[in-house]
Amino acid sequence: MMLLYVLLLPFVVTFLTPLMKPRLATAVSAVAFLIPFAYTIYGLASGLVVKIPVADVVHPIGRFYILGDQVSFSFALAICIVSAMVALYSLPYMAHRFEEMGRELESEYRKYIFFYNLYATSMLWLVFSGNFIMLYIFLEISLLASFLLIYMYGYGDRRRVATLYFVWTHIAGMLALIGFLMTAAANGSLAFDAIAKIGFVAWLLIFLGMIIKLPGLGPHVWLPWAHAEAPTPVSALLSPLTVGLGAYVILRAYLISPWFIKAYTMPIFVYGVVSSIYAGFMVFRQNDYKRLLAFSTISQMGYCLIAFGLGTYGIMAVIIQYISHAFGKAILFMTAGGIIANYHGLRDITKMGGMHEYIPTISNAALLGFMNLGGILTVGMFGEFFILKGVVDTFGLDISTILAVVFVFIISGLYSFYTYKRIYCGTPAGYEKVKVNRLLDTPLFIIGIVSILLIFPPLAAILLNAVKAVIAKVAIATIGGVAP
Amino acid sequence: MLDFSTVLALVILTVGAACSLKDVRISLATSLLALAIVLAAAVSTPQLFMYVLLVIAIGVLTVFSMSVKENQMSGIDYALVALITVITVYVAYTSDIAFVLASFVIASVPTYALIFVSTDGKPPHVDVAIKYIAFMVLATVLFIIGTLLLVYSSSVKDTALYTLGFVMLILGLGMEVGCAPMHEWVPDVFSAADPLPLSVIASITKIVPFIAAYKILLLTSLPQLSNLTLFVAFIAVISMFTGNIGALTAKETGRILAYSTVANMGYIIATLAVITSKNFLYLAFAGALLQLIVNAFGKASFFASIKTDGCSRPLMYVLALSFIGLPPLMGFWSKFFILTSLVGAGLVWLAFLLIVNSAISIPYYLRIARNLAKDTVPGKVTAIALVASAAMLITVLPPNWFINIAKMVIGGV
Repeated sequence: MMLLYVLLLPFVVTFLTPLMKPRLATAVSAVAFLIPFAYTIYGLASGLVVKIPVADVVHPIGRFYILGDQVSFSFALAICIVSAMVALYSLPYMAHRFEEMGRELESEYRKYIFFYNLYATSMLWLVFSGNFIMLYIFLEISLLASFLLIYMYGYGDRRRVATLYFVWTHIAGMLALIGFLMTAAANGSLAFDAIAKIGFVAWLLIFLGMIIKLPGLGPHVWLPWAHAEAPTPVSALLSPLTVGLGAYVILRAYLISPWFIKAYTMPIFVYGVVSSIYAGFMVFRQNDYKRLLAFSTISQMGYCLIAFGLGTYGIMAVIIQYISHAFGKAILFMTAGGIIANYHGLRDITKMGGMHEYIPTISNAALLGFMNLGGILTVGMFGEFFILKGVVDTFGLDISTILAVVFVFIISGLYSFYTYKRIYCGTPAGYEKVKVNRLLDTPLFIIGIVSILLIFPPLAAILLNAVKAVIAKVAIATIGGVAP
Repeated sequence: MLDFSTVLALVILTVGAACSLKDVRISLATSLLALAIVLAAAVSTPQLFMYVLLVIAIGVLTVFSMSVKENQMSGIDYALVALITVITVYVAYTSDIAFVLASFVIASVPTYALIFVSTDGKPPHVDVAIKYIAFMVLATVLFIIGTLLLVYSSSVKDTALYTLGFVMLILGLGMEVGCAPMHEWVPDVFSAADPLPLSVIASITKIVPFIAAYKILLLTSLPQLSNLTLFVAFIAVISMFTGNIGALTAKETGRILAYSTVANMGYIIATLAVITSKNFLYLAFAGALLQLIVNAFGKASFFASIKTDGCSRPLMYVLALSFIGLPPLMGFWSKFFILTSLVGAGLVWLAFLLIVNSAISIPYYLRIARNLAKDTVPGKVTAIALVASAAMLITVLPPNWFINIAKMVIGGV
């Protein structure tokens, strides 16, 4: 029951914060996500598995229940800490944004913080859903909240971009919904513990839907627009947390009925490598800081696609990759926002250079972020390690697949440090040194520190043991799993 | 109990309408009283109470939307709207074909008078009204002949005649509610006529024809029926695409709403394709009925808002998002029930097309909300939209109860 109260906390806070003053609302929101964060660490450390029934829905849908297992806790770990830190960061950033838009801080912030909390809370509930329809509902609520935030406070042609985002991701969700409904018709329930098998067409639809959401190469067109034009705190949730939830949904389906991924390992692997490499090269061509980060998201999500085909270690890699990308990308989007807030909307990389001189704290945070992306001395290291382990386990010592994966890693590392060099090093571009608001840099370091702590005991042991528990489950599912 | 109170309500409405020549407020009071009597009578059947409550709520909203501005038949119009509401309640209770047909006619005929409503002393759009009435009469005749053919052929087991009856019934139904390709009248009437009567015509009058069609088809069903459902599926697909593409390209809000009605009727008529599947029939009907209620609440508020050039921003967005089908708003559950029943009955292709259409519809619903949104002004229209938005939020928990209502309405048939 403890889990239910912990989950209800941010939900209740969502409706209370619009009544508060901006400073108080921000503090309360951050605390409302830090308490679940502490609980997820406890859940991971104690190997907790909880099921709390919520409601009984009509026949083919089955029970709604809250499911807290090691997969949920691992994803929630990232969601909680990033949401809490971005909430803190929102206050100075949105103050700047409202000023730029000529709106009054206090009344606008009420709306903003409500939708922000709704957005973060719906993602948190999503990973604790024990029924595909419940999961779908939270997926759509998170879509709605993020859509409205872009629609109201985005940059550029924000209404058009928001609609583009809405249409694509709504199609994604609806495709998956048909897949879920077909599964419901075949199994008589959509509760995770009552589904015996997901059929071919259903799996295909769920997979395609989530490929749009993830996104893979092809349906990725909406992402650079949406992530670049969203207000930066929203980008810092969209890119790190939301897109990765596509991987979460596929992972859930995989844990129930893994045959689809196993049957099509090679095409998925190749698709992942191609997406990742393509997006990696696209990063070099970008001159807009936020758009650059958006392409890097596509590249990083390619890792998840690659990892899915790689058996038990691949599944470990998916989870760790989600966490590491969430940390890295949240930090980086917040650094982009820091530059925008301090230098009046500066996003063009060609006009930057030697920014370390002017904003050393943000520059150092960006270094931490790029280390996460490159998988250096942060939790991303484990992600890359498990992907390689999975490649060797699945394909044997096949030099071409190993090279492909290593090439993907090298591109990520290259574009990370190339971008760092372009923005923060080199000849100073001649700006004034500014005093950075504490809330625009401290949250970044906190995420960075958590990311580094996760590679040292005791947190590393806790996380890896928890993820190993998932592996045990996959092994069972594989034995009991049904061939197509 | 309900029979008696229905008669009582009709008497009160007639007296009230007659007295309205003296003072309009009498008719307003008697209309509300009649609705209250019907609601009180419904307490004796608790299984259907929520349905009655929702329909009465829509009825009261539409009565109030008629009173947003004085018109040349103020007073009588309240009674006519209340009459349609009473019949919409009554049709759920009856399973006698004669009464079902009578309900169908009674729910349709008052709109012939309402379409002439005009405000501010402007002359009514007679050409539009004649067009509307001509279509409605044709639809009613088709529906009635279709029903009679179905009744006769199901007793003598004549499959050819049964097919003819089925096609006529569906064509009549489609023309009455505005399904493509019989939707010709919808865009013209919706963009030219006064928005006030449209808040009635586009909303509450759509409910009775569908309940009637369901009841008649179930009462007269032959094994032949399962071969005919494909015809309905095709009409549904044509209607969805015509409606959504039309709405996407339309400019005025009234015209967008007209095409959105065509599309919504497509979603609803699609559920008739599930009618032969025993396991999913109730789910399909629940989806259809819930979608009709969403449509009624939404259209009544939107048209009333057009009359006053806009309404409170958050309310407009809640209604638009409900039409788009975002959980946990009511519009999500209706589409969800429809999709589940289609997939369950093996019509995955139809479910897929419905989803494509629901994606096409996003931009224009947002456009409607944007066109109509303005800063909050307290007033009748804001109150109407507020009640409608509140109704969209009653389904935050999964509405299982609605399936039971669906079983009650068509289960006895």
